[in-house]
Amino acid sequence: MIFLTVIARLADGLPLAASIQEDEQLGRDLQHYQSQAKQLLRKLDAQSPDRCMLEAGNVNFCYFISQGVCCLCLCDASFPKKMAFGYLEDLHNEFCEQYGKRVPTVTRPYSFIEFDTYIQKTKKSYIDSRARRNLSSVSTELQDVQRIMVANIEEVLQRGEALSALDTKASNLRSQAEKYRSDARFLNTRSTYAKVAAVVLVFVTVIIYVRFWWL
Amino acid sequence: MSTAGFNSQNGTGTGQTYTNGPSQNPVALQQPSGVGYSVNHQPAYNQMQAKVLAPPGPALYPSGPYQPVPPGPQVGSYPPAPAQPLLPRPQIGILPSHTPPQSASPSPGPRPAQATPPAQATPPPPAVTSTSYYTGPPAWQYAAPRGPAPNHVNPAAAAPPLMSHSSTQPPGPGAPPTSIHGFTQPGSAPPPMNPLPPHTYQPNRPAYGPPPTMKPTAPPAGPPGTTGTPPPPKADAQCWGAASSARPPAEPDTQEGDVECPGDVAGNGPQAPNSYNHVDNRMAGAAPPGRHLGHYPSLPPGYQNTSAPPPSSLHPALQAATQPYTQGPQPYQQQPGGPGPGPGPGAGPAQLSPSMAAMSLQSSTPEALRVVNLLQERNLLPPAPVPAPTPCLTQDLQKLNCSPEVFRCTLTSIPQTQSVLNKAKLPLGLLLHPFKDLSQLPVVTSSTIVRCRSCRTYINPFVSFLDQRRWKCNLCYRVNDVPEEFMYNPVSRSYGEPHKRPEVQNATIEFIAPSEYMLRPPQPAVYLFVLDVSHNAVETGYLSVFCQSLLDNISALPGDSRTKVGFITFDSTIHFYNLQEGLSQPQMLIVSDIEDIFLPTPDSLLVNLNECKELVQDLLKSLPNLFEKTMETQSALGSALQAAFKLLSPTGGRMSVFQTQLPNLGVGALQSREDPNQRASAKDVQHLSPATDFYKKLALDCSGQQVAVDLFLLSAQYCDLATLGCISRYSAGSVYYYPSYHHQHNPAQVERFQRDLKRYLTRKIGFEAVMRIRCTKGLSIHTFHGNFFVRSTDLLSLPNVNPDAGFAVQMSIEENLDDMQVVSFQAALLYTSSKGERRIRVHTMCLPVVSSLSDVFAGADVQAITGLLACMAVDRSVTSSLSDARDAMTNAAIDSLSSYRQSALTIQQPGLLAPACLRLFPLYILALLKQKAFRTGTSTRLDERVFAMYQLKYQPLAFAMLMIHPALYRLDDLSDEGALNIGEQTIPQPRVLQLSVEKLSREGAFLLDAGLVMYLWIGRNCHQNFLSQVLGVSSYAAVPEKLYLLPELDTAESQRTRAFVSWLRDQRPFFPSLHIIRDESQLKPHFLQNMIEDRTESALSYYEFLLHLQQQISK
Repeated sequence: MIFLTVIARLADGLPLAASIQEDEQLGRDLQHYQSQAKQLLRKLDAQSPDRCMLEAGNVNFCYFISQGVCCLCLCDASFPKKMAFGYLEDLHNEFCEQYGKRVPTVTRPYSFIEFDTYIQKTKKSYIDSRARRNLSSVSTELQDVQRIMVANIEEVLQRGEALSALDTKASNLRSQAEKYRSDARFLNTRSTYAKVAAVVLVFVTVIIYVRFWWL
Repeated sequence: MSTAGFNSQNGTGTGQTYTNGPSQNPVALQQPSGVGYSVNHQPAYNQMQAKVLAPPGPALYPSGPYQPVPPGPQVGSYPPAPAQPLLPRPQIGILPSHTPPQSASPSPGPRPAQATPPAQATPPPPAVTSTSYYTGPPAWQYAAPRGPAPNHVNPAAAAPPLMSHSSTQPPGPGAPPTSIHGFTQPGSAPPPMNPLPPHTYQPNRPAYGPPPTMKPTAPPAGPPGTTGTPPPPKADAQCWGAASSARPPAEPDTQEGDVECPGDVAGNGPQAPNSYNHVDNRMAGAAPPGRHLGHYPSLPPGYQNTSAPPPSSLHPALQAATQPYTQGPQPYQQQPGGPGPGPGPGAGPAQLSPSMAAMSLQSSTPEALRVVNLLQERNLLPPAPVPAPTPCLTQDLQKLNCSPEVFRCTLTSIPQTQSVLNKAKLPLGLLLHPFKDLSQLPVVTSSTIVRCRSCRTYINPFVSFLDQRRWKCNLCYRVNDVPEEFMYNPVSRSYGEPHKRPEVQNATIEFIAPSEYMLRPPQPAVYLFVLDVSHNAVETGYLSVFCQSLLDNISALPGDSRTKVGFITFDSTIHFYNLQEGLSQPQMLIVSDIEDIFLPTPDSLLVNLNECKELVQDLLKSLPNLFEKTMETQSALGSALQAAFKLLSPTGGRMSVFQTQLPNLGVGALQSREDPNQRASAKDVQHLSPATDFYKKLALDCSGQQVAVDLFLLSAQYCDLATLGCISRYSAGSVYYYPSYHHQHNPAQVERFQRDLKRYLTRKIGFEAVMRIRCTKGLSIHTFHGNFFVRSTDLLSLPNVNPDAGFAVQMSIEENLDDMQVVSFQAALLYTSSKGERRIRVHTMCLPVVSSLSDVFAGADVQAITGLLACMAVDRSVTSSLSDARDAMTNAAIDSLSSYRQSALTIQQPGLLAPACLRLFPLYILALLKQKAFRTGTSTRLDERVFAMYQLKYQPLAFAMLMIHPALYRLDDLSDEGALNIGEQTIPQPRVLQLSVEKLSREGAFLLDAGLVMYLWIGRNCHQNFLSQVLGVSSYAAVPEKLYLLPELDTAESQRTRAFVSWLRDQRPFFPSLHIIRDESQLKPHFLQNMIEDRTESALSYYEFLLHLQQQISK
C-alpha cells in the first residue's frame, strides 16, 4: 500500500506535486508522516544517496533522486521494495518528460499538482495485486535493487539535529569562554586597582607620618 | 533573491457572468524570469459610482401630504392605536449585559477580559497564544455575552461643543483634512415647507412633548484608565502562519472534540445571546400611544415648518402636489429622471431657511452632523443609492484604504473608550465581503510573506516604517525587522524602498502562499451533487432543468485537470452512479440499507471530469427520464447526506443538495412543525430554531473534512428550513430557496433557478479556507455572523468560500484607545483556488479614533448599522423570541436618537432630531420591522421567514439593504438624462422614490426592486405610449395576468427599460425574477407590502413610527 507520494525539487525541497491516499488505519499519523516527509525533503541534497529506503516504524519511506528531482513515497513495510522503486522510477520518468524543463524556474509550491492524476493511476496499477503480475517484468529490470541503502528515518532526520546541537554547544562554549575572558580581565583590573590603592595608602600613611611626627 | 513575479491579475475567475460594472482589461503579463512585475495602475474600485448626487431640489420633491393612502376606504380616518405592542424594552446589544452569560459551559479560559471592567488598567489579553488555539473551547460557547462591562451611566457628559473635524485628524504630513460626507451636498436644503396648508393647521406642538431640558454638563467622566502597558510577550512561535493557518486539513482531533462539546446542541450557534439579554423594563407598561396618535387627524398634511417664514412664491408643482393623491386624477407632478436640474426658481432662499435655522449656531458642523428634524423633513432618501460614508482620514491614508464594498465598519470613527461607545448606543461591528469578485487585484508571489512576529499581522499600507530596516506593526505596535528581500521593490526595480512595495501600497492584496501554509497538498476541485428523485421532486420537474444547466456549464466548472464530480440520487433508498472510465454507460448502484450507510464501491463514484466527461454527460441526459414513473414518496435525506459525506471526506469539496420535501425516513427525519392557521394570528413565531441537531452535527463533521454543503430547497410545502439550513450554515455553504417551484405553473421561479444555477456552477470557488480577522490591540471581536464554523476564538473555518458570501462581526472596546489616532482591521482569507493554488487574500482597513460623542455620531454608517442590527436581531429571535428582537430593534433607534439628543446636541429644539448621517435610521428600522423575517400580523410562511433571516445574515451588505429597504423607480418616463454609459449601452438612472403609495400614480409604471424579486406595477391609466412601446400591448386591459419578462421590442423606450432592468440584475449574484403586475393582480398585496412608509393593518406608518419614537425619547 502506498500512502503518500511527493515529488520535490532537490535543490530546496520545494514540493512540486503530491498525492495522498487516505487510510483509516494510518489515520491521524499521516499528518506526522507528512511533516517528516517535508523535513526529509529539505534535508536531502546532491550528496545524499540517490536511492534509499528509510524505516519509520511499520512504514517505510522510499526515495529516488535523479536530475534534480526527488520522488518520495511512503509505503507499508510489507510493500515489496522493488515495486516501490519501480513505481518511483516510473513516476520520475513521466514527470521529467512532462515538466522537467520547468522544474528549476518555478517558485510556487505544488506548481505541477495536476500530475496527481497520473500518480494516482500509476499507483493503482502498482497496488492492484492482479496487475502486479503484469508489472513483474518491469521490476526485474531493477537489478541493483538489492544494493539500495536502508537507514532509519530518525537517524537521517537527527543527523542534522546532532550537528545543530553540536553547533549550539560550540557557540555556547564560545560565549562562555568570552564571558570567562572578560570576567578574568575584570578581575585582573580590580586586583591591579587594589594593589595600587594599597601602595597609595601606604605611601600616604608614610607621608602623613613623616609630616606630623617627623617634623 | 527570491522575490518573484508580481502580477496584477484579474481577480474574477473565467467565465464569470457577474461583474460589477466595467471591468478593466485584465493585465496579466507573465514575466518569464523569476523577477517580474506589472501592475495596472487604474484604481481598483470604481464601479457604479458614476451617479451624481443632486441636491434634492424642490422641483424634484413635491412635498405632498404626509398621508399615506391606505388601500381601502379609510382615507383620512386614522383608527387609534394599532395593535402593535411596541413597548417592552429589552436592550439591543449596545449596552453590555447585566445578566450573567447564559452559555451552557463554564466561561472559557483564554479570555481574561471576561469580567474586566475597562476602567481597570489591565494588560491586554494575550491575544493569541499558540496553546490557546486548539485547546480553546469551541466558539459558540465562547460567544458568551461580554462580561458585565460597566454600565457607566456617566452624567451626560456633554461633548465639547463641536469638535471640528480637523482636530481629530491624525497629523498627516501636510495633507488637508477631508470631510467628505456625502449624503447631500452642503448647500442642499431640506425640501420646501408647505406654506399654505390646504387643511387647517392646528398648533399641536404640545403633542411633541416638552422640550427636553439641557442637563448640566459635566466633564467627561471617562474611566481613569491608565493603559499603555505593553502586551505581554506572546508565545509567538508560529502562531498561525506556519502552523495554524495551514490548519484546515489538519487537526481532526480538535474538531471532533468540538463536536462533542457540551452545549453545542442547545447553543444554536456561535451567536449566543450576546449582549441582547439585558432587559430593561423601565417602560414595560405598554404605554398606549393613543395620546399622541389622537392628534393624527388634525395633523396637517405635509409637515409644517414652524420656524420658516412663508416663501414668497410657491412652486406650482408643489401646489399641485399638496393635493392628496386620492382626490383626483390630476397629473402626477413628480419629475423623476435622475439627478435633474437644481432647485426651482424662487424656492432657493425659502428652502434653505429651515436648515439654516437649525444650523445657525453650528456653522462649523460637518454635513453628517447637520441636525435633521425627522418629523419635518420628509424626503430623506437621496435620489441615488446611499453611498458609504468616508472615514475622516488624511487624504493619503484614505486613498490607500480598503473599499467599503469589501470592508465596512458601523462607525467610521471609532470611539476612544467603551463608555463613549455605550453612550452612543450604536452597535460597533464590521461587515465584510472578503471574497468579492474584484476586477483588479494585485497578486504577489514571494517566498516569505512579511508578517508581524507577535500578532502575525500581514504587512499592510498602514504600518509605519521607523527606518529602512524596521517597521512597526499597526495592530500590536511591535517593531519588526524588514527582511532582506523585502528591500527590493519589484515595481520600480529598485533597492531600498520597502515602503513602495505593492504590499504597502494596496489595502487589498493577494499572496501566493509558500508551502508552510499547507499541511497537505492543495485539494482538487470536487463537486458532488445529491439529488432528490422522489415522486414530489419529479413532479416539480426541477431535475431536467438541473441536468440541462449542468450540461451547458460543465466545461465552465472552475477547476483544472484534477476536477472530480459525482452524483447521488435518493428517495427512500440511496442510488450511486459508477462512472468509471471504460464503462459504456453509467452504472447505477442502489443501497437500500439506509440505517447503516456504506459506499458500494470504494472508487469510481467520484471521477475525474476530464476523463469521464462523456459518461457524465450520458448520465445527465438520462437522469430526468430515469425516475419519470417513480411512485416513491419518501425521502431519506439524512442517509443520503451521510453517504455523500463519506464519499467526500477523503478530499473535501462541495456538496450540492437538492431537496423538495420534508425528509421523512431514516436518520434526520423531521415532522411538520408549522400550523398554517397560526401564521398570522400567533403572537410569537415558534420553531425558528432547529428541531434536531442531526444536521448541525453532520455539518460540523463536514466542516472538519473540508466539505461544504449547499442546499437548494424547491418546495411548495413546509420543509423545515430552520433545521435543514443548519447543514449549510455550519459548513459555510449557501442556501437557495424556491418556494412553490413548478416547471409549468411557476415559470418565474424556473428562470430564477436556471440563472442562479448558472452563476452557482460557474462562479469562483475557494476550498479548504480559513479566515481570521484581526484588529488593533484594545479592540476585540466577540460575535460572528454568517455561514461558517468558528474553530478557535477568532478563526473561521470555511470549507468552501464563494464570492457571494458576506460576514459580519461585532466588536467591543476592551481598553481605552487613548494614545492612538487610528485603528486598523485586517481580514485574511487563506484558501485553495480551484486551480490548486494556495492563496491568501488580505484586506486592511484603517479608521480614525475620536473622543467626543458628536464625532462618533458624525461617523455613523447607517446602512452598516442596519445590517449589523439585522444580524443581531436574527440571533435574538432564534435564541429568545421574535417579539424580543422586534423590541430590541425599536429600542436601538430610540436609544441612539435619545442619546444623540441628550449628549451630542448643543441646542435643543422640539421635534425628533437626528444627525444627517442617521436620518435614515428610523426608516430602516421600520423597514426591518416590516421585513419578511421580522414582520408579524401578516401571514408569512415559516420557511420564507427563516430564509429571509438566512439572507439577512448571509448576503453582503449591499444586497441585504435592498432586501430590507427596496428601491422604487418610475419607469414610464425614463430618459437619457444623467444616464450611465457602460460600453455600448446607455443605462438610464431614474431616481429612487420613497416607498409609499403616495408616490405611485395611475398614469405611471413603477419598478420595485426588492433584491430577490422585482415587481413592475402598471397603473390603471398608464400612458398608452409605455404600454405599446415597452410592453407591446394595445391597452391596459390587454396586459396579461402573468407576465415575467419584458418583450424585446425595437423601440427606444423598450431598450431603455430593458437596459435598466438588466443592469439592476447584473449587479447582483442572484437572479431576481420580474413580475409585471396590473393594479388588480393577485400579486398586488405582495407589491404593497413593500410600501414601508405606509400603514398596514398590523404595522405603523413611518410617521406614526416617528411619533412613537419621539414619545419614547422625550420620556
